[in-house]
Amino acid sequence: MQSSYPDIPAGLVAHDLTAAAVQLQVDPTIYPLQAIYGAAYIFIDRCYVFLERPEPGQVRVTLTAKGGSADAGALRALVGEFANELLGCAWRHQITQDNRVLLETVTMQAIAGAMGQPSLDDLASFDFSDQGFDDPLGIALSWEEKHGKKAPAASTGDGEAQP
Amino acid sequence: MTAADPSAPAASDAPAFLDLRFHRELYAGAAVDEAIKVFARHGEFHLSEAADAWCVHMRALRPALTRRLAHELANYALGLTVQRGGPP
Repeated sequence: MQSSYPDIPAGLVAHDLTAAAVQLQVDPTIYPLQAIYGAAYIFIDRCYVFLERPEPGQVRVTLTAKGGSADAGALRALVGEFANELLGCAWRHQITQDNRVLLETVTMQAIAGAMGQPSLDDLASFDFSDQGFDDPLGIALSWEEKHGKKAPAASTGDGEAQP
Repeated sequence: MTAADPSAPAASDAPAFLDLRFHRELYAGAAVDEAIKVFARHGEFHLSEAADAWCVHMRALRPALTRRLAHELANYALGLTVQRGGPP
């Protein structure tokens, strides 16, 4: 790569007019690899995309015009659009990560609903014994169990203690 | 520009062979293999493995197309890698 652009911080982007290529340094801690893949996949029909890891923790994206020739403006536009797409992909990736639990829950409920209601036979044969059941307020107890007369304690003696 | 990058400046005459290095953390090996199978009838490919990369020593049957074939191979391998969700 021979030169860079004055409106982009030095070291991030460089272009080579001879090869009609532009390189972009990407920090994977800011843009996850899946976001880089997403942006690259969108661009592989417009240009040649090549990924490199020049050093650990860095990804270098090389975009080469398919026509074999491009001016500096065209390459600047290309890398700019790629950077925009990269940002969009990173944001979508973040949203997906944030909502992963919700998506999995909704999907599981939809699949469970598609299975239909359980039949009486299914319920009869269902094993409830391994289900955790927490009843700290005693709601599941019947009235008699909760407030009824206590059953007389079984007499342990032979009745001689009574006057 | 390293030999790993197919976008190396085009010389006045096409290179006889090009070396491509697909980093293992960025490209799936199966995707590179599949891409080479797809383009096998357009060129000559020699596969090897480095500690951190899948290496392809290649040239097109028509020497003038070697660089373009390398680009297309890299694009195809990247597309398959993305479809696989990245390297395993």
